[in-house]
Amino acid sequence: MTAYNRNTLLVGLLAAVAIGGAVSYFASARPDGLEKTQEDLGAAEPVREPVAPPPSVFEEYSLTWLGEGFWGDAAAGVFGALLVLVVVLAVARLVRGARRTRRDRP
Amino acid sequence: MHIGSGFLSPPVWGTMAAVSGAALAGSLAAAGRQLDDRKVPLMGVMGAFVFAAQMVNFPVLAGTSGHLGGGFLLGVLLGPALGTIVMASVLVVQALVFQDGGVEALGANIFVMGVLPCLLGGAVRGLWRHRSGLAYPVTFGGAAVGVLAGATVVILLLALSGSLPARVSLAEAIGVMDFIHLFIGVVEGAVTVAVVAFVVGARREAVFGRPLAAPVGEASA
Repeated sequence: MTAYNRNTLLVGLLAAVAIGGAVSYFASARPDGLEKTQEDLGAAEPVREPVAPPPSVFEEYSLTWLGEGFWGDAAAGVFGALLVLVVVLAVARLVRGARRTRRDRP
Repeated sequence: MHIGSGFLSPPVWGTMAAVSGAALAGSLAAAGRQLDDRKVPLMGVMGAFVFAAQMVNFPVLAGTSGHLGGGFLLGVLLGPALGTIVMASVLVVQALVFQDGGVEALGANIFVMGVLPCLLGGAVRGLWRHRSGLAYPVTFGGAAVGVLAGATVVILLLALSGSLPARVSLAEAIGVMDFIHLFIGVVEGAVTVAVVAFVVGARREAVFGRPLAAPVGEASA
């Protein structure tokens, strides 16, 4: 990895960590556009049995055992942003690996 | 704009899962030809950025809020294929780790916030590549249209799933949804233009590969 790439990573990551870790604390708690529409139309309750999501230590984008407040939100934002980074890099590595294998085949 | 769990009928979420699955398969195949050492870090960082930006709900109108989608942004900076892969990664993490968006609705959410706006964003890449003055207004309007198109599709999917009350007409439901998302779309458009202009300015070669006017004999990416 070149210095050029390292800088790209660092600047973008700093922005992501700052936004996810700090700015997100000031996010509006109002329902989002879809939730509000569903409420206004009287369609806020699911008509079918919801599928339970996998168990998680996060709730409402907050780390539950840090309690409600800044640090729970910050932990969730930073962890989530880094997890997406890792997932994307892993997918890219798999795709490039597959391509290399194909090319090397006689 | 994440559709929660229990709102889509099995035929609807099944169809959307198949559509988004096919789009993702095509994107992964195309990614094999597009990935290079500059693209990969940009993808990872933009994914982290979009995840973080989506957490910041801003108030709109009375009693509601909106947040960035980011699909159009990814489409412009990475192209539709790589953009869709990054957006799908964000949505999978949100659904599986943060209970945002129903697990069975993932295909629908990937289509609405990924495939659709990424395709639209990819369509305006050329304006930025060629430094066209139209890039700014078209990106602003395009990102807003992407939000409205996604919002409309969400209502259609809910209606097809029987998740809207019978007394509400389809036109009325789309009207309510799109009115709110018009305001969200304006913010999406403004943020998209600002971020695209910044990233293209700072990292043009990572976004577009080598400069268009490469010296003769130099391989172009």
